[in-house]
Amino acid sequence: MKKLLFTASLALLFFSCSDSLESLSEPGKSGSITRFAIYQNYMYVLNLNEVQTYDITQKDHPVLVHQLATDYGLETINIYDNTVFLGSTTALYILDISNPAAPVIQSKSDRLSDLGFVGCDPVVVKDNYAYSTIKIIENICGRTSARSALVVYNITDKSAPVVVGTYGLNIPNGLGYKDNYLFICDEGSDQLSVFDISNPEMLTLTNYGVNITDPVDLIVDGQKMIVSSKTDFQVFDVSDISQIKKLGQISR
Amino acid sequence: MHKIVCLSVISLLCLLGGCEKEERSFYDGLGKKPVYITSGELQDIRNEPPQPIQLSGTIFLQDTLLFVLEQRKGIHVFSLKDSLNSVNLAFFKIPAITDFVISGQVLYADSWKDLVVIDISDLQAIKATDRIVNVISPVFYPPLYNGYFECADESKGAIIDWEDVTLESAKCVTTN
Repeated sequence: MKKLLFTASLALLFFSCSDSLESLSEPGKSGSITRFAIYQNYMYVLNLNEVQTYDITQKDHPVLVHQLATDYGLETINIYDNTVFLGSTTALYILDISNPAAPVIQSKSDRLSDLGFVGCDPVVVKDNYAYSTIKIIENICGRTSARSALVVYNITDKSAPVVVGTYGLNIPNGLGYKDNYLFICDEGSDQLSVFDISNPEMLTLTNYGVNITDPVDLIVDGQKMIVSSKTDFQVFDVSDISQIKKLGQISR
Repeated sequence: MHKIVCLSVISLLCLLGGCEKEERSFYDGLGKKPVYITSGELQDIRNEPPQPIQLSGTIFLQDTLLFVLEQRKGIHVFSLKDSLNSVNLAFFKIPAITDFVISGQVLYADSWKDLVVIDISDLQAIKATDRIVNVISPVFYPPLYNGYFECADESKGAIIDWEDVTLESAKCVTTN
């Protein structure tokens, strides 16, 4: 009984301590465009041509424990279902982190050869499908041309992803989803585009999109969605996707 | 996406691409130039008054706090407790930052070639607690830019911005 009381008071002490720090007590989430990610007691950091693994067991003092070499052009990292997905300018990488201290390349889908694209940009994953935007703005010898797309991969076999669809976009940036709807920040058309992904092998563009100037990235948080633009951000109510409502803006 | 190439290489590319380009070894005219800070200034991590977003980057949501990267300058912190009225709470000055992540009350960010660890348990009084040097490979060209620029010189310090200038004998160029 004494022991129980002691434990209870300890717990009480713990809760009362952490109470004052309530806003930083839960794990947070990044948008889709980032080169840093945390998984258990490890942090992954992307350099242009390597994945660094830091042991953050001692949070204040990370230790670099592993470096995985890749081709040049790493841009974004996303962790889903105990797997790391990397978007690079030339490929989609899938890393096995069953040993989180030393990630291993499970597959590398070369976009260049698969699709005739060289691009970049973020990847989000839902169930057995990965959704990645590719943004290409070419300017060779003063001639500018842009070819951009949303690419859908079937990743049932993580060692051999298969491209199952490409959909043209203007200048896409970050993306995210809620239930069966995929949101894409399309800077080129100043739109947050909404795709129905109920059938991942045959997406349909809905007319639920919202006009936003220069959208950059987004985070879906329950019934809310935060969309950043170059100099601002907006909060939307996404409880009903067919009626995305703007909730507010920054008061300065 | 970005490629940094010498003039000779681009001449070759142009030759292969079939467009016409005058061959020369330097460029005079409008372009960009790096703005440097010293390694001492790089250590200056602290709170600054809340300020508007100029050029956003990575966003990170923790409960009702939204952290927004300000390219090469720091991180804005907003409270979204009242979704109708977000409040601009704080600004963390982190020179040369391009990305970050947060775990609990610890923020990890790049700062030029270093990884910095910052205690953010008090949003109004952040404190750098560790710095791992020479692990990050920064870019030495202006992002999202096509054209000529003054080549970066690492001995001058860390690049925190690129300003528009009239260049003389510029040798570096970016193509996207």
